[in-house]
Amino acid sequence: MYIENYNQMIGHYNHAHYLKHSMSWRVNSKMSAPVRGEKMTKAERKALRKQVKSKHTLLKHEGIETSSTPSKHLFVANAGLGNGVSRDEVDSIFNWFGEIADIVLLPEKPYAFVEYTSVDAAVAACQAMHGRKLKCPEEISTPGITFYISFMEKVPPPISIVSALPHGLIYLEEFITEEEEQDFLEFFKTQDADCADTQKTLKHRKVKHYGFEFIYGPNNVDLEKPLEGGIPTVCDGLLDKLMAKGYIQQRPDQLTINQYEPGQGIPPHVDTHSPFEDGLISLSLGSQAVMDFRHPDGRHLPVVLQPRSVIIMTGESRYLWTHGITPRKADVVSASSTEGSQDSLTLVSRGVRTSFTFRKTRSGPCQCKFPEQCDSQKKSSQENILLPKSEQEAAQLENKHVHEVYEEIAGHFSGTRHTPWPRVVEFLTSLPDGALLADIGCGNGKYLGINKNIFSIGCDRSFNLVKICEERGHEVFVCDALSVPLRDGVADACISIAVVHHMSTQERRQHAIQEVLRVLRPGGKALIYVWALEQELHKVKSNYLKEIKMKQRGQQSDSEVENNETVVVENGSQVVQKVSGPDTQCVGTLAGCCQENQSQTSTKTAAGQESRDSSVNESNSSEKPHQVKVGEMNCHTESGAISQKILAVHVNRTKFEQPDLLVPWHLKEKEKRDQTTVGDSKLFHRYYHVFEEGELEVLCQKIPKVRIVESYYDKGNWCAILMKENDA
Amino acid sequence: MKLLTHNMLTSNIIKGVTKGFPLQIAATDIKVTEVDFNPDFISRMISKVEWPALCEAAESIGHLGDLPKELDPDYEKNEEFLKKAHHVLLEVEIKEGELICPETGRKFPVTNGIPNMLLNEDEVGK
Repeated sequence: MYIENYNQMIGHYNHAHYLKHSMSWRVNSKMSAPVRGEKMTKAERKALRKQVKSKHTLLKHEGIETSSTPSKHLFVANAGLGNGVSRDEVDSIFNWFGEIADIVLLPEKPYAFVEYTSVDAAVAACQAMHGRKLKCPEEISTPGITFYISFMEKVPPPISIVSALPHGLIYLEEFITEEEEQDFLEFFKTQDADCADTQKTLKHRKVKHYGFEFIYGPNNVDLEKPLEGGIPTVCDGLLDKLMAKGYIQQRPDQLTINQYEPGQGIPPHVDTHSPFEDGLISLSLGSQAVMDFRHPDGRHLPVVLQPRSVIIMTGESRYLWTHGITPRKADVVSASSTEGSQDSLTLVSRGVRTSFTFRKTRSGPCQCKFPEQCDSQKKSSQENILLPKSEQEAAQLENKHVHEVYEEIAGHFSGTRHTPWPRVVEFLTSLPDGALLADIGCGNGKYLGINKNIFSIGCDRSFNLVKICEERGHEVFVCDALSVPLRDGVADACISIAVVHHMSTQERRQHAIQEVLRVLRPGGKALIYVWALEQELHKVKSNYLKEIKMKQRGQQSDSEVENNETVVVENGSQVVQKVSGPDTQCVGTLAGCCQENQSQTSTKTAAGQESRDSSVNESNSSEKPHQVKVGEMNCHTESGAISQKILAVHVNRTKFEQPDLLVPWHLKEKEKRDQTTVGDSKLFHRYYHVFEEGELEVLCQKIPKVRIVESYYDKGNWCAILMKENDA
Repeated sequence: MKLLTHNMLTSNIIKGVTKGFPLQIAATDIKVTEVDFNPDFISRMISKVEWPALCEAAESIGHLGDLPKELDPDYEKNEEFLKKAHHVLLEVEIKEGELICPETGRKFPVTNGIPNMLLNEDEVGK
């Protein structure tokens, strides 16, 4: 924030004429490079006068009163920490005019208070510097700033700098020696070099994990997959000391090393409760950084982490306060810690900072006193979305958790779906020339232009997705998959790719397939794709899938960047997972679907959809009351189950443990990101019914005059090619 | 929306509507674009089209030209005819307007060439 033409608002207009000669005077005597004051033209002055009123308001708001009578106290606009000027710079510029008694800079404010020991010095400074544009890098690190100066009766009482720590935070300065610091840094350096290939280079920082891999997205660890080697031995001394002194009771088993270049940071977050115990330890190396702690009630405590210091977040500071590092190149720190004066703030440049964060993984659920922030406790208390019991409830659920979501995410969604799935393409290209194809739930229309020798008509429930198709020159309309306004038997072929799994009752799923068949002519073929509950069938095709997995790993680092830990929304009370980049892929058990996501992308919607940031939830696999039994496969059924099933929210990289679930979609809104008010990720939940093996076939067999020509598993989906039998 | 697509649409998704075809067109913006002519393709399309409905639709928006309302039994060999059919089927597009259910008068808006065939909950048949 700059203050412009400050003279206007304070009535120091008359100083303008001093500037010219006082300038040259100063230049000659002290500065190595010429500096020029800039006199305003009449036109400029006129324009500026109009701003006076608003500037006055600002002043009032800031509570700064100025005086027209010369005094020892100067108010210097645009010489503040808020616009990148450090205390040292203010000092070096202003001490030329006389002895300075005090300089006061306030965090985030674009001005400084300078107190001289004499009025004369203050007047001289005002005459020389007021309205001057500072252009020389020798003078100031951010050239182009203009100082505007006025006198004050007195410098306002220094605003006390918060030195308090959030409750539960332990700060241990100089906890290790400089030699030990070198050992840690040396260790990371060699690791960095050794593991260049597996190294996770997040966009905002470099990261390496030990003990357990920290999984961004769900922000947890997989306890069943410890990393080889555990915690490196270089950390033994530190951990022994922390244990011996009683700071921690349990030895950490997970380590994350982050390296931040100046200008890099980490968004405010609370480390997810359930994966880690109380007591998070962070060792700072190399350079200082200010870690901002924020309480949900709005309190903000910046804590300067000096090199070689250790912080331990316990209790409130671990579970309730968010912590983050604002990405900038310098920190406002108390001058006392750098040069001995008290209560003064200055700007200190950041160097490369390396942090070692130690955590102890947790086995049971978290039972902290902060249920609002606690993922373990939230699971049970969260507002539950229930599996519908009636047609009306089903329609409502789909409306909110399918239709509205696709409408909102259409652009982002479409941007992640470009590659058609090969087997769908195969079906389309096998159609005879001149065939009429209906793509019901066409999404962004990626299958509409595959075969140029047929006539393709697409439809989707999402107006925004249909619009994308239209812009691409496809024939499309908006409709519901349960009421397709096409004449009976007009289509030679139909496809329904990733649509039917968005219907929330078995009746509706069957109805959707029936609609497809109604539109199909006798003898015509339909291809149906639905997302599979089983995502581990890759054992069958391990080679192929392994390859894909490797590829994914390679790409993953990038998307992880986007994925940073859990991020807290402005008000601090709501925890959401951060945006996953549009290419985010999952790895691991969801190999099948991942693969679909990434290399060939998936489908669409009507809900089409697809499985990119798929996730499934763990949770109540035991009951499954309302789930309509499908053939023999009601595997989770339990007698006397609860009357209505709660839909669980799927978590990345976990298995589907129940067929009905909500899959999160993180909508990335804008590129711009203000790390302090993270609002750039919007979370949506899409409803899915994932199909068990055999379920699709059973469903199709319920429909008259249908013959299943072929059914197969492809990329995490169950698929069927159906033929409509001729009327007998 | 091309007239070929229009020929496939029906409003029989509305409760109580039996045929719902053809939908009447009230167009406020019609665009004519050139499309490559492929006689085989057009022949195949004609076989799928309800011919009288196509002519009715084309006539209602003033784009019938001299396309015969009776389908020539040997149309596949009649290139002149196929070209006219090609024009009506693929080159005339409804950009803005309404589609109207012939039985209930229910209007479906067409915007940017996209018909919106969504129904309100209480209109849905079945």
